[in-house]
Amino acid sequence: MWQSATVRTSLGFIALAIACAFFADFQISTQAPWQELGRLMLGLVMPDFLAVDFLGEALLRTLAFAFVGVGLGAFTGLLLALVFHSAWVRTGCAFVRAIHELFWALIFLQFFGLHPLTGVLAIAIPYAGIFAKVYAEILDETDPQPARVLPQGSGRVSGLAFTRLSQAWPHLVNYTSYRLECGLRSSAVLGFVGMPTLGYYLESAFAQGLYGSVGALLILFYVLIATLKLWVRPRLLPFYLLAAPFLLGSGLPIVWSNVSRFFTQDIVPTPLRNGEGISGLMTWLLDLMTTQALPGIWNTLLLTQIALVITGTLAMMLFPLISRHFTGRISGTLGHVALVVMRSTPEYLLAFILLQLWGPSMLPAVVALALHNGGIIAHLVGQRSNQLTLRQDAPRGLDRYAYEVAPRVYGPFLALLFYRWEIIMRETAILGILGIATLGFYVDSAIQEIRFDRALVLILITALLNIGVDILARRLRSRLRLRHTATSEP
Amino acid sequence: MIKGLMLAFAVLLAPSLASAETFVFTAIPDEDETRLQQRFQKVADYLAEELEVDVRFVPVKSYAAAVTAFRNNQVQLAWFGGLSGVQAREHVPGSRALAQGVEDAEFVTYFIAHESTGLQEGEGLSDAMRDMTFTFGSKGSTSGRLMPEYYLREHFGEAPEETFSRVGFSGNHSRTASLVASGAYQLGALNYTVWENEVAAGNIDTDRVNVVWETPQYPDYQWTIRGDVDERFGDGFADRVQQALLDMDDPELLDSFPRSGFIPASNDDYAVIREVGQELGLLD
Amino acid sequence: MSALALRDAVAEYGTIRVLGPLSLTLAVGEHVALVGKSGAGKSTLLSVMFDRWRDRGPALMPQDLGLVPTLSVFHNVYMGGLSRHHGWYNLVTLARPFRRDVHAIMPLLEHLDIADKCWTPVGELSGGERQRVAAARAIHQGGNLLLADEPVSALDGPLAEQLMAALTTAYPTAVLAMHDVELALRFTDRVVGIADGCIALDEPSLRLSAQDLLPLY
Repeated sequence: MWQSATVRTSLGFIALAIACAFFADFQISTQAPWQELGRLMLGLVMPDFLAVDFLGEALLRTLAFAFVGVGLGAFTGLLLALVFHSAWVRTGCAFVRAIHELFWALIFLQFFGLHPLTGVLAIAIPYAGIFAKVYAEILDETDPQPARVLPQGSGRVSGLAFTRLSQAWPHLVNYTSYRLECGLRSSAVLGFVGMPTLGYYLESAFAQGLYGSVGALLILFYVLIATLKLWVRPRLLPFYLLAAPFLLGSGLPIVWSNVSRFFTQDIVPTPLRNGEGISGLMTWLLDLMTTQALPGIWNTLLLTQIALVITGTLAMMLFPLISRHFTGRISGTLGHVALVVMRSTPEYLLAFILLQLWGPSMLPAVVALALHNGGIIAHLVGQRSNQLTLRQDAPRGLDRYAYEVAPRVYGPFLALLFYRWEIIMRETAILGILGIATLGFYVDSAIQEIRFDRALVLILITALLNIGVDILARRLRSRLRLRHTATSEP
Repeated sequence: MIKGLMLAFAVLLAPSLASAETFVFTAIPDEDETRLQQRFQKVADYLAEELEVDVRFVPVKSYAAAVTAFRNNQVQLAWFGGLSGVQAREHVPGSRALAQGVEDAEFVTYFIAHESTGLQEGEGLSDAMRDMTFTFGSKGSTSGRLMPEYYLREHFGEAPEETFSRVGFSGNHSRTASLVASGAYQLGALNYTVWENEVAAGNIDTDRVNVVWETPQYPDYQWTIRGDVDERFGDGFADRVQQALLDMDDPELLDSFPRSGFIPASNDDYAVIREVGQELGLLD
Repeated sequence: MSALALRDAVAEYGTIRVLGPLSLTLAVGEHVALVGKSGAGKSTLLSVMFDRWRDRGPALMPQDLGLVPTLSVFHNVYMGGLSRHHGWYNLVTLARPFRRDVHAIMPLLEHLDIADKCWTPVGELSGGERQRVAAARAIHQGGNLLLADEPVSALDGPLAEQLMAALTTAYPTAVLAMHDVELALRFTDRVVGIADGCIALDEPSLRLSAQDLLPLY
């Protein structure tokens, strides 16, 4: 067993995470963390739906931003997927999706300001990059034979629509509806930077310690996600997509001169703006690297590696909750609900809540990332395990887990975990905005100081880091011969 | 479906003509954010009546967002903190400070400590504070970050990160109070008016947390207006706004800030804030 | 249309030659059966023909049928006629078929006994039904030349005969890879036997009996 490359890689990751843990800060700094948690629970049990103003409006805006952003992203992504073989398109997509939607929002806020376009583009741009990649993968997996038998001169569009798109359609729809759920989470989280969505009110309610309102907002959000399948029907979708742009609210008018100012002045490094030349730029860059970028990168990497391993452990521990080999009907349903709650809470939100409860250290971030991502992977691995057929006299309980099921799902599990690696790192960086000293912390500081030149350099570094991890993960997957297909994302 | 999306998108992009001549203002989100819209709507109504133009209040999520909106001419008037006001006026040539609260001319920051630290009320900055945990308010706040950091550096002769075992940014003054009260941080620095309001409202258990030091006085919050409003809203508009602010005497309106009244202010009043900002590397 | 000719055709997988060199000429109006054991090179020969004679617009019915499982029977058959319509027309058809196309395709489905499955996704059909859908698509495509690989392998008895009749009536010229020797002799004019990638036999059907073909298997 120890000779297996998969096992050795896993052990390597665990050892690395343990080493990282020695450098990480895990202190709970609140005096009465459980008391606060108790108050939060009380708020969830006794939500105060009347305390939040504009509850309906917040809900409507959350939906509108999600629909327009995801709709636009999916449309653009589909077009890009058709030309995804071009290296330029691939690189461009990798780049735009390496920047988290909150960073995009922070960038657009600088020149579009509090206009709906800021929120729409913040979702649409990174989503287009993700859609392009996944759609292209899905289309690549379709059977090429039907296209071969098409009559001569069928036309590119017709051929595509009838063969590859038609075959891929169920997978495309599945993936897009999963992304719509993600879009709702993103839309809610954009409230944290000022978009008029649920997050806006949630942040205020937390800041004031109004746990009744917090409870009301959270419950509303869970209901929204849990009932998604009930009200998002293919037939209703065109109606939603048409209505959504009109429900974004008006915000403040865009002043277009701000856009050119942003590109020609704001993001030009200060020494260049002041005419200090290349040597000035070098000093400026060096200072930025040593005081902000390097500590930020260090903390981002530490946190990512620890969170990755805990995510994996949690997923392997929790997948039996929904696996038919381990649960009955009732316990299976309960397990399902537990995993749904885990994965539908945005990690940003979860980290924010835990930060309030435990104080600022890496602990809230690690727990938030592990709960959210662990919930997702456990769900997928559980589903995979349900496809297994065990022989009738297979052992039960722990033996079944260790000998029959776990060895069979471990490969797909690792593939999924590596797939999530880049996502976990992207989230880690963004959690810095909440005060944990990852790259996001320094980006946020630069923006608070109205220094967009610095913010942009730091955002670019974050993007490169994400792309690097993505490449590494792909290498590892192919070295370990782990097959992961786009359609195995939920 | 796609056409519909495009159309709607075009509608979205078109600058809204109706709001072109609406006078928009904002306020930095430094304390109680609930009912912000209603509270400031009353201020907007008051200004609309006095100035005879449409006035709209827009809430923002951060100090930087307030400065950016002002700089982008999406808002023309803003209730800024000392530092954010200086930042805003740096970026918008011609803009000027119009009025400050009566309290703002001689503003102070309170340093507060959790009872477990053993620090006594009014005992001042001391070496006993070393290696404790400490929280500022927002990164861009004058009373919650700039001035306390300045006095900490002056007293300890080093960056706060070296003095304390952990330095955090709570986000706003109310949260600083509650984080120190809960013991999440042992020490904190915050806007004195927010502290006194919270104490008066009974939100803080003064047995568990007390004020250990009060900084010397400095100028803080002020109303700042863009220089180009006279072109857009007519000659003398800025002066009329100033007069309207100075005339505000309804306690219900003033409570939103919370101030007892407004007095005239000028850009020069904030020179000291600017110097400190540059000294700490927060301003270029 | 002039005669169709292959001259010294070869096919290789990597360095291994699987077909040829072989030469073969097809007269217009000729129905040719390719026979031989599996792996002899029939499918390869068909696919070489398809590539060589692309410009003649041949209809192809490959062994794995090339159907789109997510689309209905109607749409799969309609695909044979994609080149006859404008792109937009095809896209609209995907969402909502036009009545005249339904009228055009329905009789074909009735003839092949699958009209009741018209709106069923092909993925839900049995092997025999799918084969008839693929045949219907090939027939709907129309043209002069049909290349079909084991078109009736999943059918038996009267259904197989019915389909063979339909295919050979629809196309004046056709090359059909067959494993059912009886059917091949009854529905084609000429039989070409393939063994180890080369032509081992080439005779008019009338002169052959099932017995004569046995050595090929």
